This record gives sequence, structure tokens and C-alpha cells, in this order.
Amino acid sequence: MAEIFGGLAVGFAHAVQPLNFLMICLGLTVGIVAGALPGITMLNAIVLVLPFTYLMGIVPALLLMIGVYCGGVFGGSITGILFNIPGDPMNVPTTWEGYRLNRKGQTQYALGLAIMSSAFGGLVSALFLAFFAPPFAKFALSFSTVEFFSVVVFGLASVSVLAQHSIATALVSLCAGMFLGTIGTEAQYGVERFTFGVPFLRTGVDFVTVLIGLFAIGEVLDQVVGTAEPAPENPDARAVPRLPLLDLWPLRWPLARGTAVGIAVGGLAGAGATVSSFVSYGLEKQISKQPELFGTGHAGGLVASESSVNGSTGGAMIHLLTLGIPGSAATAVMMGAFLIHGIQPGPLLFTRQPEQVYTIFAGMILANVLMIALGFLAALSFATLMKVPAPILNTFIVVFCFLGAFALRNDMADVWLTMLFGIAGFFMRRWDLPIPPLVMGVILGPLAEGYFLTSMVAEGNDLTVFVRRPVSAVVLALAAGLVVWSIVKSARRKRAVRAG
Amino acid sequence: MPLWRRAAAPLLGAAAAVVLLLASRGLGDVAAPGQLSPAFWPRLVLAGLALACLVKAVQDARLRTVGGHVDVAPPVARGLLAGGIGLIVLYVLVTPWVGFPLATLLLIPAFMALCGARSVLALGANAVVGTVALLYLFIKLVYLPLPKGVGVFEDVTIALLRALRIF
Repeated sequence: MAEIFGGLAVGFAHAVQPLNFLMICLGLTVGIVAGALPGITMLNAIVLVLPFTYLMGIVPALLLMIGVYCGGVFGGSITGILFNIPGDPMNVPTTWEGYRLNRKGQTQYALGLAIMSSAFGGLVSALFLAFFAPPFAKFALSFSTVEFFSVVVFGLASVSVLAQHSIATALVSLCAGMFLGTIGTEAQYGVERFTFGVPFLRTGVDFVTVLIGLFAIGEVLDQVVGTAEPAPENPDARAVPRLPLLDLWPLRWPLARGTAVGIAVGGLAGAGATVSSFVSYGLEKQISKQPELFGTGHAGGLVASESSVNGSTGGAMIHLLTLGIPGSAATAVMMGAFLIHGIQPGPLLFTRQPEQVYTIFAGMILANVLMIALGFLAALSFATLMKVPAPILNTFIVVFCFLGAFALRNDMADVWLTMLFGIAGFFMRRWDLPIPPLVMGVILGPLAEGYFLTSMVAEGNDLTVFVRRPVSAVVLALAAGLVVWSIVKSARRKRAVRAG
Repeated sequence: MPLWRRAAAPLLGAAAAVVLLLASRGLGDVAAPGQLSPAFWPRLVLAGLALACLVKAVQDARLRTVGGHVDVAPPVARGLLAGGIGLIVLYVLVTPWVGFPLATLLLIPAFMALCGARSVLALGANAVVGTVALLYLFIKLVYLPLPKGVGVFEDVTIALLRALRIF
């Protein structure tokens, strides 16, 4: 323990030096802004800053990347809450609740909750990383694609609790999303599936086009035709987010659960912030005494998903630093940056380069504390846009959606897909087809398929492996319980409606 | 709403899932012996989709026959909807031909007017300032190779970008 405290002291001594401190702030700012812009993901931001780190020393380079990483996972929540446009897939559950709170005139509250719960989740996760990285990594190493599949199935099962009126409708939407995820070239055999000879479908349907289209364009069309909810009456009151420290106390359990889920799921390689945010949100709704309020602006849902997103950063870094296995695309790029600067992630890192390791830990702790201030400033800047008249705002959202979709692959085909999904999103709202399950299907479906097929190849198509491995069996049992409980509750609700 | 109309949408969904299931027939041929084919997962998903659609159709039919409450969506301003969709589709359609700057310069006032803005000054100012700002941000700073158009439009776009010192 003394060794850890000593190491952290050295790490903090490095991190608070002016240049290094500036790099954390710069990284956070870049990450938050990039994360907030639809189509420009946190991963893009990490890749963009990577060449700049070549010119830097090892410590500022590390801290810049850490800043971008921590800021990037939070940034997408801002535009999600303000404009119903999640910057990254991981911010989707936050958008479901945050945007509804915004429409109720509680924008300041929603933004404040998002900032505080992100910072809390990230901070606890960073501390966990600092104190428990090696033993947790050993435990996580015993996990395989079997467990990852079970966790993703749990995320998919949470669709049953997302269903507001009808589980069948939610399942239609989920399966449609999962089907969209199967379009393109299959990874194992390289076979084209459902491309029907259309060249741009070979690379599949990028889930960002689905996200931007369904959420942003669909919402704009809703606003244009006047079927969207009216904006809150006092727009001036929405400009400055507040930091609801006291408001967090009643939400302490969702916050704690979200953070724990984030650390646990983030710690499993490959199952990063996106899976953890969906799992955490679904779990929270199931536990909540007011599940019917989810999707209408429920603070607990927002806090749980947001804390789990940042809570997953520490877990993902545990894998990267202790095992040398990147848990996500973002940590894979960071691993590349570490290697460029002479840091070889892996079991020997803690003995060979302890100074750098503890500087990373200190940087993550500091970044999450600083995120409160920088997140507040960023939210303030973006919230100012809420004062812009609706015709201007809606028009520029359309243009930004165009740019976000085009930026994915510099291909007009992605723009077409985005706009088509936008039109589909409008009609889905009209026909009462829930959008969140479709989004979950597109994001989690390919992950589930990948893990399932890999498990089957490794285990000789033995399906019992999912129940033979204890962790997998427990997670699958929880998922099954979630579905059964939701069906029972739904049936009871219907009986109550009929009775009276 | 008549029973057949309420059940039609989920039944159509089920039919589409069956058609796609049939379309996946050739996918199974490449699988190695003893291995799951690339068609396995999509077929599982499509079977789930078809089943969910059928359950939904039955539920909708039952809702009607037992006199359950059916939500009716609020009326839509069809002209505005057609205008909104038309402008968005037109924007994506013409951008590769006329280039991003010109298409955006035209879209901004048109879409703003559709949303209810009436001040000519506001329409013009937003179109010009917005387009120029976007060009600086996304071409000069982010190096996004936005469509320049073809033929004479490409020349116009390049001249504009040069005049703005973006090129």
C-alpha cells in the first residue's frame, strides 16, 4: 500500500507540472468537444492528437491522451441532452433520459447530473485502477468470449425493460436493429450478407449513421411538422448548467451501481463503455421503484448510465496496462501511442516503468476532477446554443448531420443512409415503434455475433459452455430473470388496465 | 382503424423477414464442415423478427377485438413534412453535383423558411456566415474533403475556397 501511495505521489508531482497540467486540460477540452460533435467520436479525437504527441516528451504525451480519453467518453452526453444527438453510442442511454429532462425545462439539472456523475464514475474508476489493477487484471484474464457474450446478452435483454408499452414492439425494433448489424461483409468467412450488389453496403451499416439519423434528423422532422413536444417556456433559465452536489445524494445508489457496473464491464476486454452504459441503464430500470418513469426523464437512469460510461475507463485501462490487451478501439490507439513513446504495456510494466504507470494513474484521477470544471464550461458553451431560434438550430442540425455522416468515411453513401434513417426515425415515432431497442440492436448485435461465433469455434459448437462457466451462467440467469420479470410485470399491468 | 390495417404493418414486417430468410439461402454454402455458417446469426435474428412481428400482429388484433384503447398519433402538417423530407433529400442529391458550399448556401435559407423564419436579412446572413464558418471549420481545420461539385460548379467551389484563402 505504501508503495502505491509513494508511486501516486510521484505521479501527481509529474502531472501538476505546468506543461503536463496544460496537456491534461487541453486533452479534456479536445475530448469533450470531439465527443460532443456527432460523427466525430472520441476515437477520432485520439487518432487526431496522436501525431502531435510525437513532438512531446513521454509524460505530456501520456497525459494528453488520457485527457482526450476521459473527456471524450463524457462529451457526447452534452449534445445528447441538449439536442437529442448522442455524440457516441455510449451516450445513448444518457440521451434517452437527459433529453426528456431538457424538454421538461430541467436542462441545467440534467447537464449538472451528467457532469457530476461522469466525474464521480471516472474518479472512482481511476482510484480502483490505481489500487487494484494487478489483482483485478488476473481475475479478468480468466474471462473469455463466453463471458463477453453473456454480458452483451444481458445488455440486449435489458430491451425488455426498455419496452414502455409492448415487449413485442420492442423486440421487433431490436431484431430490426440486429438485422441491420448483420449487413455487410461477414468477418469469419468474408462473405457478403444482404448487400444485394450495392457496393457501399459491403462495409456494413455504420451505427453512427443510424444514431445520427434516428435521433437528430427524426427529431428535426418532428420539430418541422410540429408534433414534437413544445420547448420549455423559459429558455433563458436553461443557459447555465448547475452542479447539483446535493441533488446527487438521493441518487447515490444509482450512482454507485452505475460506477460498479462500469468498472466491472469495462474491465472485461472488449466490453467497454457502450455495453456498460446499456447494461447499467437496464439494470437501473429493473431495480427502480418507478420503472414506468424511465424514458420520460428519469434522473436515476441518467446518473447510472453516465457514471458507468466514465466508470468503464479505469476498467479498460487495467487491461491495457497490466495485460497489454486493449479493451476497445480507443485503448488500442492509446496502446500504439504508449509503444511509440517506449512504454510496453503488460505484466512487466509495473516493475520496469513504475513512474510512468503512476503518472497515468495520477493523470486519470486529475483529469476526472478537472472534468467537473471543463465539462461545466463546455456544457455552458453548448447550452448557449439553446437560445438560438428553432429555425436556425434545426437547419444547422441538418447540416451538421450531413457533415458528421460524411466524415465517417468521406462517402456520400453514409450521408444517404443517415438521411434515410432520419426519415425512418420520424415514422417510427409516429407509429409508436421504439427507437432505443433498434439502436441497441445495431450496436450490440454485431458484438454478440462476434463473441458467440468465436466461442463456438473455440468450444467446438458446444452450447453448454455458456452455462458451464459460472460467471457466464450467472449473467445469463440474470438476463433471463430480467426478461421473465418484465413479461410478468407487463402482463400484470395489462390485467390491471383491463380490470379497471 | 380497421383490424386489417392495424395488423398489416407487423404482418408486412414478418413477410419481409421471411423474404430475407429466403435471401440468405446461399450464405450457408461456404461454411467449413462442423462450423456454423455465416447465415446462422442473421437467420436467428430474422426468425426472431418474424416471430416478434407475428406476436405484435396478434396483440394488435386482440387489442381491437377486446375493445382496448388504441393511441392515435397527432395529425401532421403533411405539406411541411413533404417539404422537410424533400429539402433533405434534395440537399443530399445535389451536393455531389453542385458542391457542398453552394448546396449549403441554398439549403440554409430554404430550410429556415420552412421552419418558419421570415426575415430576409436573417435568412441571408445565416446562409452566408454559416456556410463560410462551416467551410473554415471542416475544410481548413479538419481537412474534410467535402464535395466540390462537377464541371462549372467545381470551378466555382474552388474559386470560392481560394477567395476565402481556404485553398
